[in-house]
Amino acid sequence: MHEPDERPPLFKGWNTWYLTVAGMLVLMIILFHFFTKYFS
Amino acid sequence: MSYPDWFVLVITLAIIILYGVYKSRTTQNLDGYFLSNREMPWYIVLFSIMGTQASAITFLSAPGQAYTDGMRFVQYYFGLPLAMIVLCVTFVPIFHNFRLYTAYQFLEKRFDAKTRTLTSFLFLLQRGLSTGISIYAPAIILSSLLGWNIYWTNIFMGGLLIIYTVAGGARAVAYTQQLQIVIIFASMFIAGWLVVKYLPEGVGLFDALKIGGAMGKTNVITTGVREGGGFDWNDKYNLWSGIIGGFFLALSYFGTDQSQVGRYLTAKSIRESRMGLLMNGLVKVPMQFMILLLGVLIFAFYQFHDAPLFFNQTQVQKVQASTYGDTFSKIQDHYQELDQQKKNLVQSIVASGTTEISNVNREALGRLNQQRDSLRTEFKALVVKPEVGGDSNDANYIFLRFVLDYLPKGLIGLLIAVIFISSWGSIAAALNSLASSTIVDIHKKYINKNLDEAGDYRVSRWYTLAWGVFCIIVAQFAYNLGNSLIEAVNILGSLFYGVILGVFLLAFYGKPVKGNAVFWGALLGEALVITLFLMNEHKVITLSFLWLNAIGAIAVVLLGWLLQIFLFNKRVTY
Repeated sequence: MHEPDERPPLFKGWNTWYLTVAGMLVLMIILFHFFTKYFS
Repeated sequence: MSYPDWFVLVITLAIIILYGVYKSRTTQNLDGYFLSNREMPWYIVLFSIMGTQASAITFLSAPGQAYTDGMRFVQYYFGLPLAMIVLCVTFVPIFHNFRLYTAYQFLEKRFDAKTRTLTSFLFLLQRGLSTGISIYAPAIILSSLLGWNIYWTNIFMGGLLIIYTVAGGARAVAYTQQLQIVIIFASMFIAGWLVVKYLPEGVGLFDALKIGGAMGKTNVITTGVREGGGFDWNDKYNLWSGIIGGFFLALSYFGTDQSQVGRYLTAKSIRESRMGLLMNGLVKVPMQFMILLLGVLIFAFYQFHDAPLFFNQTQVQKVQASTYGDTFSKIQDHYQELDQQKKNLVQSIVASGTTEISNVNREALGRLNQQRDSLRTEFKALVVKPEVGGDSNDANYIFLRFVLDYLPKGLIGLLIAVIFISSWGSIAAALNSLASSTIVDIHKKYINKNLDEAGDYRVSRWYTLAWGVFCIIVAQFAYNLGNSLIEAVNILGSLFYGVILGVFLLAFYGKPVKGNAVFWGALLGEALVITLFLMNEHKVITLSFLWLNAIGAIAVVLLGWLLQIFLFNKRVTY
């Protein structure tokens, strides 16, 4: 039994969502790096 | 606790229980009881996933972790967003398309019955034990700080949630988790705001972070590379162990642990499951960052106020009453003297009107904190002496000590309620998943295959109750075994999670590998993981337990392939 692979909200495909989540992780690591440098 | 605190505590807990019972109307069959008829929207799935993962220890331990070791613990979660992506691509569509109740059912479809039974047994063993400790861990902290009887605290911590968990199954669990998360975050936000408010006049959030930073508490990113060069494999929290080890841990936990799989199987579609998981990937790291930030703010707060030598007063009283009482007094006097010097120095920095901390002041502050830490270490050595026999780790007590000493009446009750309800969120999901795996993977397979819908529902409720009682008994037993069991159960998870993940990875990506190869590969992989763990314990090698997840998973995948090729079927067809 297979359900159709439904379209995600906001973006055209799921790959854009996956890239967004991965991209946010990279962005957070970069921001945390600057946070560490700045306050230490 | 004062009467207003008791009032707030009782009212908050009563609201949760009544709300859970109110939301417990569901169809009386396995679909309704364990999967909410697969009708949940993504935001309920998100709250449920978050509420299941975040136990009381998350909110007690993380601020204390930041206070003692800095914010680098957040790196432990860096692999989680990546794991969410892999789950959405592979696990979620398969679990939904087969309309499974438990993740382990899939292993019988893909391999055979014995592989399914092995993995579900490992899950029941590990989750049953660790849920007992999830009850005990916050109960012992509340019991020590508030002087409550530990046995009754265990019963309230693990018992009250059984009312709505038995009554309403997954639906009641999900809706109460939604309410719990809202209360928890509102309370933590108020606590954080008050810490900043209680700082001396002219000292704001930014200054507090500078003070914390000067003492090395804002170390969010660390590389795990030793000063002399070379990677420190025993370093628990750094960028690489967080991304790689954390990825395998999160993939195992969210992909193969029924307490989490059961949450996103309640979603009404693949789309809603995916959105719940992806949103978790987006919010988890910032959420942990904020909780750790609270710990740094409390650290900064204690630079201006008297910081206890040791935050667990029960252990202090034990040492005082022992033959080490005089030694303790000397340490305490010296500590208070240093504490006063530290406060004077910090106040002089603030009085100078500059937000920059000069190198001279930074070094002086660092020296004073180092001396204070040495005295804390001396005291901890007394705590673990055989005569005292105490727990030398007070990190879990730091946040609640601050709450009890400084927060206003009423709010103390609310934050104690937060400890209860954050525990309930994860315990309720665990009981629900333990019951679902017991009835689906064991009862209906080996004990009674012919149960009708009403029978399924009735037996499921009994199993939920039975697991609740079992976990409370484990919690009562844990008290007699001492505090080290908490860490032991965390390590226990790492001993099994990687191997179970390896089995699932072969199920998804190792098409030519069949049941026998996987089964024996899993047993051999488990033996390897346990051997490495024992070698580390006996100092033959140095390896943080977080790496065991990755090693276990990779070992099962490699062994499964090798056994399939060289032993069970020499001709592998693709």
